[in-house]
Amino acid sequence: MIKKSKKVKDYKLLTKTLPTLRYLDPNSVFIHLQNSRCKTYDMFVKEGDHVCFGQKIGVRHGGFFDQPVHATVSGTIGKITRKLHRTGRKVDVVEIKNDFLDTPHESVIDRTDDVIGKMTQAEMVEIIKDKSLVGLGGSGFPTYIKLGTKEKINTIIINAIECEPYLSSDYRLILEHPEDVITGLKYIMQALNVDQALIAIKAMKNSLYEVLTQVLEVRFPELNIQVVKLGDYYPQGWEVEMFEQALGIRIPPGELPTKYGVIGFNVSTAVGVFVAIKHNLPVTKRHFTITGDAIKFPQNIYVRVGTSVKELIDLCDGFIEGEKNVVVVMGGPMMGTSVTSTDVIVTKATTSVIILKDVEYKEEQCVRCGSCVYSCPTHLQPVQIMNAVKRNDKDVMKGLNANECIECGLCTYVCTSKIHVTEYVRKAKKLIG
Amino acid sequence: MPKIVRKTSPYLRRPKANVTRMMRDVFIALLPVTIFAIYKFGMAAVMIISVSILSMMAAEYIYYQLVDKLDDEKFKWKNKSFTLYNFSTITSGLIYALILPDATPWFVVMIGAVFGVVFGKLIFGGLGQNIFNPAALGRVFIVVSFGTLMTFDVDTVAGATPLGVINDDIFNLALLSDFSIMNLFTGMAIPGSIGEMSVILILIGGAYLALRTSFEVRIPIAFIGTVALLAGAVAIYKGISYEYVLFHVFSGGLIFGAIFMATDPITSPITMPGRIYFGFALGFLTFIIRIFGAYPEGVMFAILIMNMFVSSFDYYKWTNSKITRRQKIIFSIVILLSIAVTLVGVSYV
Repeated sequence: MIKKSKKVKDYKLLTKTLPTLRYLDPNSVFIHLQNSRCKTYDMFVKEGDHVCFGQKIGVRHGGFFDQPVHATVSGTIGKITRKLHRTGRKVDVVEIKNDFLDTPHESVIDRTDDVIGKMTQAEMVEIIKDKSLVGLGGSGFPTYIKLGTKEKINTIIINAIECEPYLSSDYRLILEHPEDVITGLKYIMQALNVDQALIAIKAMKNSLYEVLTQVLEVRFPELNIQVVKLGDYYPQGWEVEMFEQALGIRIPPGELPTKYGVIGFNVSTAVGVFVAIKHNLPVTKRHFTITGDAIKFPQNIYVRVGTSVKELIDLCDGFIEGEKNVVVVMGGPMMGTSVTSTDVIVTKATTSVIILKDVEYKEEQCVRCGSCVYSCPTHLQPVQIMNAVKRNDKDVMKGLNANECIECGLCTYVCTSKIHVTEYVRKAKKLIG
Repeated sequence: MPKIVRKTSPYLRRPKANVTRMMRDVFIALLPVTIFAIYKFGMAAVMIISVSILSMMAAEYIYYQLVDKLDDEKFKWKNKSFTLYNFSTITSGLIYALILPDATPWFVVMIGAVFGVVFGKLIFGGLGQNIFNPAALGRVFIVVSFGTLMTFDVDTVAGATPLGVINDDIFNLALLSDFSIMNLFTGMAIPGSIGEMSVILILIGGAYLALRTSFEVRIPIAFIGTVALLAGAVAIYKGISYEYVLFHVFSGGLIFGAIFMATDPITSPITMPGRIYFGFALGFLTFIIRIFGAYPEGVMFAILIMNMFVSSFDYYKWTNSKITRRQKIIFSIVILLSIAVTLVGVSYV
């Protein structure tokens, strides 16, 4: 199997055609107070206080920014405990006991189109910052920093590629709420003063193309937005790969796309922008996929941020019978994190949970077939990095640019000998820091 | 309630990709050639093939049992490090058998097979670690040690191979009047090693491997292309017919070596440009040995010599997984230089 192979079997049929369930509210939600970027936090409320839907209950302090924390239900504040975060680490979470009323906070007011039409970039950035919107595709990078860029932007691309196998939440989101996506994009275009935008989808997702072009034609004829079909391979959704395929610009590693006049947003982030600016709401609910080959009924669920994954698994009738071990993955099956318990909270940036049968792959000797070298999207030589790690040769790891690796996992996926190459490259990245 | 285990991403693997499949494909690709060899040489071919495969497997089995013994492990009939299950030894044995002349005595076959597998593969740590192609190493070892025993016993033109005939006077195509290009292509009525006869069957095997993506198609193309290029340059320089090029390409196991031996992934470079340069170097060396060397045939030597340089093709400061502009310029200069060197050499012969 010596070839460049970027096709990854996508298993999306499990959930692709299932309409999104409106999930019943949980009895209590858990809002995380720390994440990988923000280690410290302050609370504005204490145990026993009543909070409203969309109320600011605290703030997370990051290295160079603060992130407000919002209540996603109305109810009473409970204890601060520690729970697993999507990154696989335990973080402090605060419990909010749901009163099922969804009493909106006084800040939650709809803006009229006239008001929005007159907004400037600074005003929009301020709202986004206040609603602590982050990249919802999984990166969790604060959106206001991206939106507040001072560089001249020519093109905005909405990333609706969703190239990871199994995931279908973005697909359902566009199919069910195309107008929200386009309105969000319209606001982003207004903020950045850009008159050209693209929505990038996979070529095989023709239904999305039809939906988006129709909505664009009928409802938004004034906007210069095109839907582009990009390749059906993995990792097409990686920003650099997307820009290269859609615009022909290859962004060198370590440089920001804004320098080249392009900027990318995930499709869920665009909807987040829409919700924040139109309804003045933070992200309180999101489209979520719960799937995998070890769960009984895979589903797309519109889920409240802060719900425990355990409840979602129960909603899907639990694990299939007869499996001794399962793997629970937060995020996609190529790049997601495996967690050790189902008691994980759904955060804003969690796109999915995937429950897989535990398959032991038998590793064989590397036969130097070179599939990993051929397939690597960053043009590295994973097998050489692996050999350097085995003999602990840091010069070679640096010389082979191991730190440019995006950990997409393709080298492990294609390996003829089923060697976990990505893990070695990760080790190399750690070793050379 | 199943237990939740922790793993690291990615959690999926490519279905249907494994080492056994790759090695088995080489084995299947060799079958037409093997059947033709048995059809043409009868029991001699059966003997060579079975002795070679059996002695390689036995050598590997005994070697691993000895290693276990030295490590004070308990004796087990089934040894885990042993690679018989994944066809790699059988494939090596078959390739080795197919590049032998039909009259090779059984003990010579056995010595070469054991030497090849032990010193070409096992000494370095088994499958995946070897520097030399075991089949080529075994073959060269017996050529050097038992040269006089390796005669060709076919009742055509006094047992001489085309390359053997022309080795005395390398540009006299008249000597080759007994070997028509068509015969070289189909493998009928010419002597030679048992598996290298029929170019067409070898190409069928190669096409199968290419369809199954079980080998790197760039190596044989670069290899054969280089030989054709250099032969063409010589033909133009000397003013001889284009048949000279075809003769070089179709004879002496060039195509067999290029398709089944040079492409052994373990003993070839790992990057795409590296593989092209490797194929080029093989072609150059093969041609140089053929026209200037003492041996009529150069493919095995070229493969073994270039096997030694694989790690320098893979040296991290020189490799790149894409061909850069600079590499293109240097590579073109090297091609021109190699043509020049060949022609200067030819003008002295």
